[in-house]
Amino acid sequence: MKWITRERPKIDRIACPWLIKNFVDKEAEFIFVPTDQVLSKAKELDAIPFDIPKVEYSHEGEFCTFDTIIKKHNIKDPALLQIAIIVRGADSDRFDLAQQSAGLWAISAGLSYNYRNDFEMLEVGMKIYDALYSWAKYASDEHHTWNHDLVV
Amino acid sequence: MKWITRERPKIDRIACPWLIKRFIDKDAEIIYVPFGDVISKAKELNAIPFDIPDVEFTHYGDHCTFDYFIEKYKITDPALLTIAVIVRGADTDRHDIANQSSGLWAISAGLAHNVTDDQQLLDKGMLVYDALYSWAKYLQQEKHTQSPFENLLLGIFNKFLKEKSGAKKKTPAWAKELKEIIQDQIDINLPLSLKDISKNLDVHPSYLSREFSKYFDDLSFGEYIRKLRIEKAIQLIHSTNYSLTEIAYLTGFSDQSHFTRIFKKHTGKNPSTFKKSIKKGQPRTKS
Repeated sequence: MKWITRERPKIDRIACPWLIKNFVDKEAEFIFVPTDQVLSKAKELDAIPFDIPKVEYSHEGEFCTFDTIIKKHNIKDPALLQIAIIVRGADSDRFDLAQQSAGLWAISAGLSYNYRNDFEMLEVGMKIYDALYSWAKYASDEHHTWNHDLVV
Repeated sequence: MKWITRERPKIDRIACPWLIKRFIDKDAEIIYVPFGDVISKAKELNAIPFDIPDVEFTHYGDHCTFDYFIEKYKITDPALLTIAVIVRGADTDRHDIANQSSGLWAISAGLAHNVTDDQQLLDKGMLVYDALYSWAKYLQQEKHTQSPFENLLLGIFNKFLKEKSGAKKKTPAWAKELKEIIQDQIDINLPLSLKDISKNLDVHPSYLSREFSKYFDDLSFGEYIRKLRIEKAIQLIHSTNYSLTEIAYLTGFSDQSHFTRIFKKHTGKNPSTFKKSIKKGQPRTKS
């Protein structure tokens, strides 16, 4: 399917494509357009609009679009549920929700500043979420001290 | 120059190469080898060893190698100083010293898991630190304003504005909520300053300082915080087996004598006397 959203993605519009591509629709193709063109282009291109008000895949209350996709597709992977909270915190300026939100926001905002091309941004962003996923899945209990490997 | 360090980098051994390449030595070549080979390979290749014990570029006290580079090369760029604290927090498992450390750690640990070639990992890591730098340099104050959700403090500020013109004697909503924020902060043991709080509330510090005591039992901001800390200490003495040193630390007192002094001022007793009286089964209800 084609999926369409607003241009200049930072958090939710990078995290959602990553989630969609890896867990919902492997063949997904993403389109970024100016906000006022999302709905008309969605019709024209037969694409699913997301992260824009008044569509199926959008924010609901305090939950962001990432949460909506998790809920709608009945995703239960604990690593993804953990990432959902981090994304929600970073996306809605609520850094109290998860410890990792402030860092994710800083890195995402900086990436968006460095990559003005939305597809380059998406490509790098995908790597960030791949990393977060591996951390959540395999390493979230791990602690780091500088000479860890010297001590063990 | 060539720079050499231990293989399988995560934080410091990615952040330092980034700092070297971007700000110290553009043509730097970074070499990763097993820990046991760093010193011998450094000699053989005429490379500068870093982030291992007993070399110049390493950890000192609670500062990590990144800090040492900053100090050694007299770097004063505020964005880099911001990053140094974040790196230190992530590298030394002290995620309390910067908000961004936990996220940096999670992403770095995950990258290291996904990318097993150290040079490729460095390439990816460079992107992350370039991003952190742009954020620190240009975007630190920026909120994610596209979000349709008001953040907590903005909400309080709005209440503050609403109440400003209202009845004088009634405790305004912002004061109530500030009280809760302070309690939360005390509970999670974070440093709290009037300046930071006023910045978050978007109120001038001197205004907040002046108005504060009206709604907080006639206490100044500092007095109120100390009072809550002592109450928390009393609660910990009652309900835990922590030593007084630990309790002093847990309630935000960096040295014991300061804790003892403030405790006595509030309760009329030394903490040790107070603790003994509880042990004897004569619990005090309230200070």
